[in-house]
Amino acid sequence: MSDCTCPRRSFIRSLAAGSTLLPGLVAGLLADDARTGDDPLAPRQPHFPAKAKRVIFVYLSGGVSHVDTFDPKPRLFADHGKEIKADHPEIKNRPGYERIFLKRPQWTFEPRGRCGTEVSTLFPHVAGCADEIALIRSMHTSHSNHFNATLGIHTGSFTVARPSLGAWVSYGLGTENRNLPSYMVLAPATPYAGMQVWASDFLPAEHQGTWVVPGTEPIANIRRRASTSRLQDLERAALRERNAAHLAERAGDPLLAARLRSFETAAGMQLEAPDAFDLSKESDDTLALYGLKRGQTTGFAWQCLVARRLCERGVRFIELIDTGSSGNWDSHGDMMDHARLAKNVDHPTAGLLRDLKRRGMLDDTLVVWTTEFGRTPFNSSADHKGREHHNWAFSSWLAGAGVKPGIVHGETDEYGLRVVKDGVHAHDFHATILHLMGFDHTKLTFRHSGRDYRLTDVQGNVVNALLA
Amino acid sequence: MSRARLLLSVLLLSVFTLAPLRGQEAQTPSAPEVIELFEKKIRPLLHAHCIKCHGPEKPKSGLRVDSRRALLKGGDSGPALVPGSPEKSLLLKAVRQTDADLVMPPPKSGPKLPEAALRDLETWIKAGAPFPENSEAPPAKHWAFEPLTDPAIANGVTGSAVDVFLQAKIGAVVAPPADKRTLIRRATYDLTGLPPSPEEVEAFLVDPSPDAFSGLVERLLASPAYGEKWGRKWLDVVRYADTAGENSDYPVANAWRYRNYVIDAFNRDKPYDQFIREQIAGDLLAEGVSPERYAELIVATGYLAIARRFGHDTDKDMHLTHEDVIDTLGKSVLGLTLGCARCHNHKYDPVTARDYYALYGILSSTRFPFPGCEAKQAPRDFVPLVPADQVEAELKPWRDEMAKLDGQLKRLETEFAAARKGLGSPATVVSLGTGELKPAGEQSFHAGQGDDPRSWVTVGAGEMIQFTLLPRANHGADSTLLELEVVEQGGKGRTWNLTNDVLPDFFEGGAGARHSDGFGNKGVWLLYDLVPGPTLFTVFARDADKTPGLQVWRGSAPVPGAFINVRDEVIRFATVTLPARSLALHPGPGGPMAVAWQSPIDGAVIVKGRVAKADPGGDGVAWTLERRPGIGNDLGAQKPALEAITALKRQQEEWTRKKPRVDVAYGVIEGKAADARLQNRGEPEQPGDPVPRRNLEFLGGQGLSDPGKSGRLDLARWLTDPRNPLTARVMVNRLWQGHFGRGIVATPSDFGTRGAEPTHPGLLDHLAGRFVAGGWSVKAMHRLIMQSAAYQRASTAGPVAALNTTGAQSDRGAIDAPYAKFSRRRLDAEEIRDALLAAGQELDRSPGAGHPFPPESQWKFTQHNPFKAVYETRRRSVYLMTQRIQRHPFLALFDGPDTNASTARRETSTVPTQALYFLNDPFFHARAESLAKALLALPEAERVAAAHRTCFQRPPTDSEREGARRFMEACRAALGVAPDKTELAAWSAYVRTLLGSNEFIYLD
Repeated sequence: MSDCTCPRRSFIRSLAAGSTLLPGLVAGLLADDARTGDDPLAPRQPHFPAKAKRVIFVYLSGGVSHVDTFDPKPRLFADHGKEIKADHPEIKNRPGYERIFLKRPQWTFEPRGRCGTEVSTLFPHVAGCADEIALIRSMHTSHSNHFNATLGIHTGSFTVARPSLGAWVSYGLGTENRNLPSYMVLAPATPYAGMQVWASDFLPAEHQGTWVVPGTEPIANIRRRASTSRLQDLERAALRERNAAHLAERAGDPLLAARLRSFETAAGMQLEAPDAFDLSKESDDTLALYGLKRGQTTGFAWQCLVARRLCERGVRFIELIDTGSSGNWDSHGDMMDHARLAKNVDHPTAGLLRDLKRRGMLDDTLVVWTTEFGRTPFNSSADHKGREHHNWAFSSWLAGAGVKPGIVHGETDEYGLRVVKDGVHAHDFHATILHLMGFDHTKLTFRHSGRDYRLTDVQGNVVNALLA
Repeated sequence: MSRARLLLSVLLLSVFTLAPLRGQEAQTPSAPEVIELFEKKIRPLLHAHCIKCHGPEKPKSGLRVDSRRALLKGGDSGPALVPGSPEKSLLLKAVRQTDADLVMPPPKSGPKLPEAALRDLETWIKAGAPFPENSEAPPAKHWAFEPLTDPAIANGVTGSAVDVFLQAKIGAVVAPPADKRTLIRRATYDLTGLPPSPEEVEAFLVDPSPDAFSGLVERLLASPAYGEKWGRKWLDVVRYADTAGENSDYPVANAWRYRNYVIDAFNRDKPYDQFIREQIAGDLLAEGVSPERYAELIVATGYLAIARRFGHDTDKDMHLTHEDVIDTLGKSVLGLTLGCARCHNHKYDPVTARDYYALYGILSSTRFPFPGCEAKQAPRDFVPLVPADQVEAELKPWRDEMAKLDGQLKRLETEFAAARKGLGSPATVVSLGTGELKPAGEQSFHAGQGDDPRSWVTVGAGEMIQFTLLPRANHGADSTLLELEVVEQGGKGRTWNLTNDVLPDFFEGGAGARHSDGFGNKGVWLLYDLVPGPTLFTVFARDADKTPGLQVWRGSAPVPGAFINVRDEVIRFATVTLPARSLALHPGPGGPMAVAWQSPIDGAVIVKGRVAKADPGGDGVAWTLERRPGIGNDLGAQKPALEAITALKRQQEEWTRKKPRVDVAYGVIEGKAADARLQNRGEPEQPGDPVPRRNLEFLGGQGLSDPGKSGRLDLARWLTDPRNPLTARVMVNRLWQGHFGRGIVATPSDFGTRGAEPTHPGLLDHLAGRFVAGGWSVKAMHRLIMQSAAYQRASTAGPVAALNTTGAQSDRGAIDAPYAKFSRRRLDAEEIRDALLAAGQELDRSPGAGHPFPPESQWKFTQHNPFKAVYETRRRSVYLMTQRIQRHPFLALFDGPDTNASTARRETSTVPTQALYFLNDPFFHARAESLAKALLALPEAERVAAAHRTCFQRPPTDSEREGARRFMEACRAALGVAPDKTELAAWSAYVRTLLGSNEFIYLD
C-alpha cells in the first residue's frame, strides 16, 4: 500500500520544500487524505460493523437456466413432453405458443461437498466449492425482458436509470485506494441497457463504475502517450508548478486543489493499474487454479484473476460481466450453448473462490453470482432445443464474508416454474448484499429531486437465513 | 400476499408515517406505541385485506374502512367499530369469523387472517382505535405557489437593483471589481461558451468608455454562439438526445431540427412565454402562417416528441413515455416534481393523482412520432414541415407514376407466372429419396450403389436430378448445407460435384443461376425457386451481408437463395454458420427451392450427398431427390421475361429514389381526443375512472375550451398565464444560476415544498416581475444580471499571502458570503472541448445539422446489438450526437447532461480519469499539436506570449517566460523523437502544460 500513496505525498512534500506556497496551505493539502467533508471517496464506516469489506459481483448476461444448473427438478426429467398451462409473460399472444410442454434438462445433478448441495454437471468446478456457497433457488424478478431485468438486478429500477449497486456501495464506504477507482467493471462488451448498469446516475460521479475492457488498454487513456516517461514527468512537473502558482493566487480554493491532486492520482493510477493487470508475476500454480494460460489478457479467467488483484489493491466493488448483450446465455436456439458458456466460466469462478479462500481473503470479501432471470422449464414443443426468458424463478448464490456457507435457501415448484418457498426478489437480494456490507438498506439514501432515494426504492427485505 | 399488494401496503405505510399526524377531534389521545401499532400493522392490514371492497369506490354494504369516521359510521349492519370495546366491534367479529353470517375476508377472496393479526386488531380497538388521517391537503401556504410580489426597492440607493437585494446579506467586505481581462473572459464564456480571441481582449482593454462592458455584453448577445451556449442549457432541462432510449436505442434522424430550433429561439430572443407555447402546441398555432414559420412551429413540438421511449415494442409502453413527458414538463416549466402524483397524490405539493391524469389525457390525446424499435424497425408518424394538403399536392404526380409502374409490373408477373405454371409437370418423376431434418440435424443420402448396376439411376441427356429443399411449418432458421455429387457409372466414370463445380466462380455469367460443369458443358447446374413455379435465380451478390467471401444467388426477394462461402475459414452471419468452402440453401417462406443437375450424358449414374442444418434453430426442413424431365432450356428461356421484370423493378427503385423529399420533424400532432382513466398505483392494468382533461387544480383547474381537441393549446396558455406564479420564477432562477453557478432557489427544478427556499425571495420576485413586464425577454435578463456589481466582482480577494496578514480569518469569512465575490467555476464539458478546438484554431463555427446515421433501410438494431456510435466533428460540442443508452464518452467524463432525465444543474466532479484525459487522450494531444503548429509559424520570441494569450487571455509573466525556456530545454533532451520532429514535439508538450492547467479550465 505504501507504493500507492507515495506519488501524491512525495509531490506535495516536494512542493513544501521548494515552493512559494505557505506551509499552512501545504499542510492542508497533505491532510486531505484524512478529510472527509468534500471528498466523496474518503473511506467511511457503514451503519454497523460488517465482515465484508468489498464485493466481487459476477454477472452472467442473457439469463442462465436454473433448471439446468443449480435447481434440480427430477419431475421435469420424468414429465418431459407433458403439456402444462401457465399465464406466462413470454408466451402471451405469441404465435406458436398456444400450447406449451415441459422440456427436460440436458444435464444431470448430483450432491456435492459435505453440505450435499445438488449442482448439475454444467458447473463441476463451482460444484466443488459447494461448501462455501449459500445457494438461492428462489430468486425472482419483475420483468422478463433483458433490458429491464438487467437494469433491475443492477439498479433496483426496471425502467428508468438509477444508481448501480456498485455505486451505492462506493457511496456508502468510499475507497481504500485513491490510485484506483472504487468501482471497477471488467467486461468485454456492454450488457443490455448499456453503461446505465454501472452508472452513478444522481450519485456523485466519483462512484460510477470504471469500465475495464480486457485487452491491451483496459482503461481509457491509461497508457502514456508522451513519447518517453521522462517527457511525461517533465510535463507533469511543469503542470504542477503552474497549477500550484495559480492555486496560491486563489486562496487555496479546494476545487482547484482537488484537481491539482487528481493529476497525482492519475499518475498513480497509470503506474498501479497496469500493475494490477499485469499477471506475469502470478505463479503457474495460481494461473492453473483459474485455468489461465500465461500471457493471456482476455477471457473470463483473466477477469477473475484480475478481480482478486484489484481486491488486494483495495478496490471496493468489482463487477465481472460474462460477455455482453450478444453471444451470451440467452439460449433460445439451443441449450447446448450453455455447455460452451459454462465451460468458459466454471473453472475460473471456482478458481477465484479457492484463491480467495487460501489467501484468507474470503473472510472479508463477498462474492455474488447472478444473472438477470432464469429460463423456462417449458417450450412450444418438448423437443425444442432452447428455453425462453423466465423471471418467475432463477438461481443465484453468495459466498464469503458474512455468508452462511453450504446452505440452500428457497424452493421452486416441482418443475422450477414458480417460487414456492422463501422467495427472494431482486430488491431482497440487494437489501441482503447491503446488509452484508454493514448497511441498513432503508437508511442508505441520497436526496435527489426532493426525495430520499435508495437502492431498494420502497421495497426489499434482508434475507436473514443467508447470514452467517 | 401478492407483491403488488405488499407494495401498496408498504407505499401507503410510508405515506402515512411521513404525513403529519393530525388526530380527529373526537379521538382520545393515544400513546405513541398504539399509533405505531396502527401504522405498522393495522393500516397495512386494512389496506391489504379490506380496502378493495370497502374503499372509496362502491363500498360493499356501504362500509368503508379508510377512516375512523367511516368505521364509526359503519355500513348496512351498523357501526363497525366501537372504540374501547373489541367485543362490540363488528369489524373484529367479522374477521374472527365466529358468526357464519359475517365472515371476512370472504372465503373467495382470501384465507382467514392470522391469529397475530386478530390480536393486534383487538389491542388497537381496546386502546381506543386511534386512526391518524392521511393528510390529503398539503400545507396551505408555500411561497412558490403565492402570486408574484412587487418588492419595494429601498429609496436613495444607487446602482443596480440586483445589488440592492443582495446587499443585505453580503456585509461590508466584498471582493474588488474584477479586472477587465477577467471580466471579458468571464462574460464571453458565460454568454457564448467560448474564450475571447486575443484581438477581442485587446479591443476591450483599450476601450476607455464607461459603456465598454455593456457594449461587450451586446456584442456577445448578438453572436450566434450565444444561442449555442444558452440553448444547450434548455436542452439539458428537456433531456435532449439524438436517440430514442428504448432497449435498442434507435437513432432519431430528425431530432436535430428541434435542437437547432432551441438554439435559434435563444438567438432571436424569442419571448419565453411564446417559446413555451410553441413547444407544447406549435402545430396548433400554425394556421395561416408563412411556410418558414409553419416549419418552425412544427419543429418546436420536438419538446414533447423527444421524450424517452421504453421497452421492446415502444408502442406498448407509451404510458411510460407520457409519464416521462409529464415529469419533464413539471420540472422544466413549473419546477415541480409532478411525477410523484402518478401513483398517489403528491406527498408534499398540492398535486393530486387526478391532476396527473388530467394532464395525462392531454398527452394521450396527442400523436407522438414513432422512432422505430426492435419489434418494428421502420420509423413512422414524423410530421411534415409543410401542411398536409401541400404534401399531397407535391406527392400526387409521383404517386400516380408509381401506380402506373406497379400496374405494369403486376401484368408482367402474371403473364410470367402463367407461362411457367406448366413447367416441369405433369412429369414422369422418379423419387430417389426423401428426408427430414431436425433443427440441428444432418443426413447423408445416396441413390444407387457402385457395385450394384440394378440400383443405378439411368439418365438421358437433358434429364435432371433435382434436389428440393422444403421449409416446414415455420419458416426461419432454415439455412441448410448441401453437398451433392453425381458419379457416372461406366462410360468415362466422370464425377460432378456441386460445390467443386460452382465454388471457383459462382457467378459465371449474366444468364441467371446456371453453371457449367468441369468438363466444358454449359448449364449443368441450375439453382431455382419453385414458388409458384420454377424460376431461375437472377440476382447475384458478392460479399453479401457485408461479409467478405459470402456469395449469394437469389430472386428479387432476399430469400429463397443459395449462398456459398468461398473462403478457407468459417463464416458466421446472423445465426448461420458456414464451414469453409461450402454451399447452403435457404428456401423462401412460401415453399420449396431446388438445385438440379441436368445431365450432359446418356448413361447411368449414382447420386450421393449430405444435408446439414447450418442454423441450429427453427423447426427443421425436409428434402426430396428426384429424376425429372429437364427444364433447363425452359428456365433459360425465362430470361427475356425475367429481364423485363427486373428492368421494371429497377425503374421502380429509381422512381422511389426520386420521391419528392418532404422534410419531416420529430414532432407531434393531434391524436384521438379522449380523457384518460386514472391508473391505480400508476399501473395501466388497473384503470379507474376517466379524469376530465384540465389545468392543475392549484393553478386554477380550468377545463378545456374544446374537448374535441387534445387540450395542448389550453395547456400551453395555462402554463404561460402571467398569473401562474411558477413559470417566470423558475426561468429567471435558471438564468441566474447560469451566471452565478447557483440559483436563488438552489433546486432549480423543484420549487415545491421539498425544494430549497429562495435565498433572496425579493430578488427572485423582482426579476420575475421584470421578466414578465419586459415581454419575457431572456436577453434583457442577462443585461440586468450582468450589469450588477455582484456579477462583476473578482473571484478572490487576492493571494493567500494577503489574507494571512492581520485579520485574515475574519476577512476570509466575510468574503465567503454568497455574492461577496464571484464564484469560480470549471468550464462545462462542451466549453472544455470547444476551448480545446478553439485553441488549436480548428473549431468549425458553422451550425450543425443532422448526423451521419446509417440509412434507415439498414436499421436492424436490437437489444442484443443496439445502435451505438460516436461521430467526431470539429463543430461546437452542442452539435455532437448524443445517445441515451450509452453516453458520449467525452461528455460522460466531464459531467455532461443526463440524456435520460432532466438535468437542472451540471455537477462538477474531479476524478483521476479526467486527469488521464489531459495526460494521454489522443484528441487532447492532437489539439495541442495543432496549436503548436500555429506557434511554430511565428517567430520564436513571440511564441510563449501567443500561447498565453490564446489559452489564458493574458501575456506571460517573466517567470513564466523563464519557466518555458527551461521546460523547452529539458524537453528537447527528453523527447526521444527524430531531430526533424523535435521542435513540433517540444512545443506540443509545452502547449499541453497550458491546456491541461487549472487556469485553462477554470473561470474566475
